[in-house]
Amino acid sequence: MKDWRAIAKASGLDLDPAQLDRIAEPLQALEAAFRPLVNRLTPDVEPATGFGLPEDGE
Amino acid sequence: MTIREAADALRARRVSAVELAAAAHARISRLNPQLNAFITVTAGEAREEARQADAELAAGRDRGPLHGIPVAVKDLFLTRGVRTTCGSQVYRDFVPAADAAVVERLRAAGAVMLGKLNMHEMAYGITSANPHFGPVRNPWNLEHIPGGSSGGSGAAVAAQLVYAAMGSDTGGSIRIPAAFCGAVGLKPTYGRVSRYGALPLAYSLDHMGPLARSVRDAALVLNAIAGHDRRDPASSRRPVVDFVPDDGCSIRRLRIGLPENFYFDHLDPGVESSVRGVFARAQSLGALVTPVRVPDVAALNAVGRVILLAEASAVAQPHLEHREKFGPDVLTLLDQGRLLPATDYINAQRLRRQMCREFDQLWSQVDCLIAPTTPNTAPRIGDATVRLGGRDEDVRLATTRLVRGINVLGLPALSIPCGLGSTGLPIGIQIIGPAWEEALILRIGAALEDGGVGIPLCPAASHP
Repeated sequence: MKDWRAIAKASGLDLDPAQLDRIAEPLQALEAAFRPLVNRLTPDVEPATGFGLPEDGE
Repeated sequence: MTIREAADALRARRVSAVELAAAAHARISRLNPQLNAFITVTAGEAREEARQADAELAAGRDRGPLHGIPVAVKDLFLTRGVRTTCGSQVYRDFVPAADAAVVERLRAAGAVMLGKLNMHEMAYGITSANPHFGPVRNPWNLEHIPGGSSGGSGAAVAAQLVYAAMGSDTGGSIRIPAAFCGAVGLKPTYGRVSRYGALPLAYSLDHMGPLARSVRDAALVLNAIAGHDRRDPASSRRPVVDFVPDDGCSIRRLRIGLPENFYFDHLDPGVESSVRGVFARAQSLGALVTPVRVPDVAALNAVGRVILLAEASAVAQPHLEHREKFGPDVLTLLDQGRLLPATDYINAQRLRRQMCREFDQLWSQVDCLIAPTTPNTAPRIGDATVRLGGRDEDVRLATTRLVRGINVLGLPALSIPCGLGSTGLPIGIQIIGPAWEEALILRIGAALEDGGVGIPLCPAASHP
């Protein structure tokens, strides 16, 4: 489990505890949903990002 | 009156473009103090554009159905010489030197620009309770949000301040205000409409599209704005067709997907019964209602949130030294995005590719999916949670949970009004289609609209 409050502080976010909670709690919930998905990825799956060199005529 | 009716009236000389613009401006003057839908009204420029539109028509130059029609755009579309704030302090005094591609195309089609519409700050939220320009209010009930982030667009169309408005949709921001305000809202396929000159929220999720009074009006606007633009790296070269459904179009024998999982979980009961009524109507119109299991939309939403957090924080990073310029909800999201590692963003984009493939297989079973646009009707301004299915849910997460995934997939989706909830607020359905099938989902929407799916005119719009 990631310590988002510690990560925030280490990233230079100087926030009070209530503000840190507002940042950390949703990230905690997102992490719980996201991490199992990542763990099932296989190396052949490439990212759906848009880089491509211009083709003729562009 | 719809765009088509106004266009007919213009050509029959029953009304002039100057009169249409003046009537729109009069309604804005009367209703905008309550609705706060506009950040900037460009009445003087609109009058001049309308004069020009009349002169052209009189000289036999007809630019098409939008010629002389009053419209407005969300205040993230660049407008030459007119302030473009993005609903933010960061851009409070930004006056662009050029128009966004969408604005160029609307002008080329002869539309008359009435101004710039209020929105959620930076398009990063769904309430449109803007801390810098004031909250947009729902024309059906001023105590409620209009949805967002294109809240001003939804309110202005529903209150008939303009005939159509442009919005942007990164995680539901066209469809949510359309549903909450009782308007039609179209998120086209990613790449169909140029993003050039629209201030970005998240590059790979941002879609530009219209909100309008009817399905055919939304199609008329799409006709004007769709098409390749080499200035947008994601713009498609796919040919543009005529998107306007024929009169009397049919959905007979079309396979309309009724999701068996996810989309009907934890709904407001009024929303559920209203949406299920649409399937009964579709069946009576000859459609084949086909129950279907959809891939994991909750997973799709998690992937969408990671991509959005990372991209939005990357876009906003140069401005984050001035934290005082952001409202608290947007700042919290921007801080969250800064903390995500690059590996999470890349892996989210890998999952996205995988999920696009999974979703693609759905289209061998059905021609479209129909689902609620939102699980709830518009919450009150200031509500942080909404109670659905016996549990309290964060307003933003609840309101986006049925729409966000479709941005990850880049698919076209059309929200149309289908009923009123127990509190008298509008309910919307979304028609989701395969990539590039806007013409199909617009045809389905128009057939349902023709078949009686819809709501009465918003009370605020009923008064001349």
